[in-house]
Amino acid sequence: MAPPNGPRGGSSGPRSSPRTSTARGGGISKRRSTARTDRDGDVSMAPAAGSAPTGPSARGSGRSRASRAPRSSRLSQNIRNHIADKTTLKILGLKSSKAVNNKDGGLRNLLDFIERKSKDKNIVLSRGIIDGDYVWIKVNKEDAPVIMRLNGFTYAGASLTIEETNEPMPTAASKVSREAAETKAKLLSVLSSRYNDVGKILDLSALGADPILGNLGTFDSQSLAQKSFRALVHLVGSEYRSPEEKREAIPAVSLARNDITDVDQVFTLAYSLPHLRRLDLTGNKLDNFSALSKWKHEFRHLEELHLTGNPVTTQPNYVAEIMSWFPSLQILDGQQVRTPAEAAEAMRAANPQPIPEFPSNLRDGDAGIAGAFIGAFFDLYDRDRAALASQFYDMESTFSLTAPDNNSRDHSWRAYTQYSRNLQKLGPRNQLGVDRLYVGGPQIAQVWTKLPVTRHPPLSEGDAWLVDCHTFNGLADPTNSSLPAMGLMINIHASFEEADAAHNHFGVRKFSRNFILGPSMPGAPHPYRVISDQLTLHGWKPQAVASVAAPVAAPVAAPAAVPVAAATSVPVVAPAAPVIAPVIAPVIAPVPTQISPGAASIDDATKAQMIQELSRLTGMTSEYSQLCLSGAADWNWDMALKSFEELKAALPAEAFSAS
Amino acid sequence: MDTTNIRCAIDIGQKFIDYYYGLINNAKPLSPAYVTNNDTYKQAGHVASDICVNGLVLGTPEEFEKVLEKSRTWTNCPSDRVVRYVVESFNSQVLNSDYQFAASRELVDIHGKNDGVRMMLTLSVSGTVYYGVEKHARENTNYMVKKHFNDVFILVPNWEVIGRANMSSNKAAAGRRYIIVSHTHRAFDA
Repeated sequence: MAPPNGPRGGSSGPRSSPRTSTARGGGISKRRSTARTDRDGDVSMAPAAGSAPTGPSARGSGRSRASRAPRSSRLSQNIRNHIADKTTLKILGLKSSKAVNNKDGGLRNLLDFIERKSKDKNIVLSRGIIDGDYVWIKVNKEDAPVIMRLNGFTYAGASLTIEETNEPMPTAASKVSREAAETKAKLLSVLSSRYNDVGKILDLSALGADPILGNLGTFDSQSLAQKSFRALVHLVGSEYRSPEEKREAIPAVSLARNDITDVDQVFTLAYSLPHLRRLDLTGNKLDNFSALSKWKHEFRHLEELHLTGNPVTTQPNYVAEIMSWFPSLQILDGQQVRTPAEAAEAMRAANPQPIPEFPSNLRDGDAGIAGAFIGAFFDLYDRDRAALASQFYDMESTFSLTAPDNNSRDHSWRAYTQYSRNLQKLGPRNQLGVDRLYVGGPQIAQVWTKLPVTRHPPLSEGDAWLVDCHTFNGLADPTNSSLPAMGLMINIHASFEEADAAHNHFGVRKFSRNFILGPSMPGAPHPYRVISDQLTLHGWKPQAVASVAAPVAAPVAAPAAVPVAAATSVPVVAPAAPVIAPVIAPVIAPVPTQISPGAASIDDATKAQMIQELSRLTGMTSEYSQLCLSGAADWNWDMALKSFEELKAALPAEAFSAS
Repeated sequence: MDTTNIRCAIDIGQKFIDYYYGLINNAKPLSPAYVTNNDTYKQAGHVASDICVNGLVLGTPEEFEKVLEKSRTWTNCPSDRVVRYVVESFNSQVLNSDYQFAASRELVDIHGKNDGVRMMLTLSVSGTVYYGVEKHARENTNYMVKKHFNDVFILVPNWEVIGRANMSSNKAAAGRRYIIVSHTHRAFDA
């Protein structure tokens, strides 16, 4: 028996539907409002349309609404779909049907067709997917035989072949990625054919004449052309492992003869290749500065630019304007517009100048307490933390450490996170803010022994340490005198080698550590104690195990009186390396505590720092830097810089250091 | 150590940071945040705030403002680019829970040692400063220069503000309840 044909485009509703009185007799008749009952026998208020109740279509097809399952049965079917065993069906025939020209390739109509044909079972199909010649769809196992009965049906002029399969159903993503991969391969071939390996030039000129891009339909519309360019530029960026590698590989790009009317059309080049040094825009249609303005603050390292053949080159002040936009520019349209030195100066002026940085500033009085304390502290911290705590910390001392807040998945922070008191992350009402403030020498020592072993550089390595310190008044006197006591604030920035053998982490970590020292209780080992100790951990740079493990010494376990739960887990990496306890204050001599504005308050050490910094910034020799600062500027930093700017053209060559 | 004092020190730190870095990021005057220009402390003979920025001692908050202003306005500074400090971590600890310098007898009587008010605190703040970041951008991804920074403050009560009633609803005032006697700033490469 020949299989029955499915309905053609215009027909709706199942042929086998029992006709109701409203439709009896054929022709057009007004629908009567007849009371009817639903499955439970209750009166339904919904309008009737033949015997097929209307219901919302999952795919929104207006035509199919009349033929789709009612809401309640659709809902129950959807629920069944979620809990039922599934099987996958492959349907062949859609590609050769008339429906293939529909917007969605005919998928929606085909699924509606199958639902209509299987209406006795009230089957609601999930979303199918077209992959190659097949439509793939997941159905409930119990529904599969009903749908399989449609095998051989004619749908929109094509015979359907339906088969059950164990092959995995393709996903929308995999389908897209396959198509994208093909396009990507073609775009990459375009890029590789246009990259000059010798000159390191990416030649994206005259893209409109490129046969591969033409075949891809890249230039069918302007928006498509822009999208294709963005894709090309994105691919350029993604082909390199690091920005540095990309910078080295592509210093020059040509976008000549592309009919560009505004750089907005190719703006992404500035994001993908921000360090471009040579750019050719010859022969485009850039009319005025406005057409270039999107790149005004981009390409800050651009040394060579070609705009010949663009109307913008006839604008008044063309050269000066373009020079002001690109601070490193030295060659414009083949003409030198700046020397390298002038470009360097323009670049300096175009970039933010962070606050100048000076060496350590130690103002701890003549006794040099800070240097002695730091030397003794970090020597013992690396070798014997329990002993250290008992020497400098008493029952009122406090310690806390702070790790960054973005370390949840970074295992290099694992040894610290459970002790971290980052109040910015914890929030003001978090109990951990209280619990992770460690109070008293024994508790502090206990925490220290659980932290990774460390080795700090010796203080003799002056460059490795930045130390600022000064005295202040206002601490409580531990002898209960009514007078406030003096304190010493020491702020340290350095790095330490770290070995966390338990987690197999070895490397170098930057840190800041802030101590507040104050007078000790009577009978303490030292005249001063640590009142406050705040350790802030920064970046981590992994190192090979061998290079770190040897110099890092394990801390000695805490004394018996102090419970050290994890003392045994602290790895002994290597025997303690001999460390000379430095007692000499680093780098800078102490300066007076009282500071007031004006030259009289600036001590020799600070003056030396200012001279050094001015030399660094201006390239002048120390002698000229000193003259500049001590002259009319009277050691006012801003005045000195201003004076330099005014006089630099008149300065002799010997004013600048050879380097 | 008293828990009230610890909790108050945390709260004070958070409010001070909101206030202080709000001033910096909006290029507002910083003087009110320092002891130097505080009448109560000046009349009691307190020395000026100690301000050390990247190793250079600055005599007044106004000098620090100038340094900040210079870092905000480079020669060819685009109008839509600003400098933004983003705090990523902070820690606060109590140094003296019975601070009395320049306090009126009344305030000393009202606020006991364990009330979390008459405290000298240290506050360590770390974060990132973005130079040349887009003014209206919510993310700080498009910047010209980036540095990490660490600020260490020693704070004492601002008796004038603390003496006023109903300060809790005023955010700015909450940030001004403590003022700076010492400020040490360091910036370093990220």
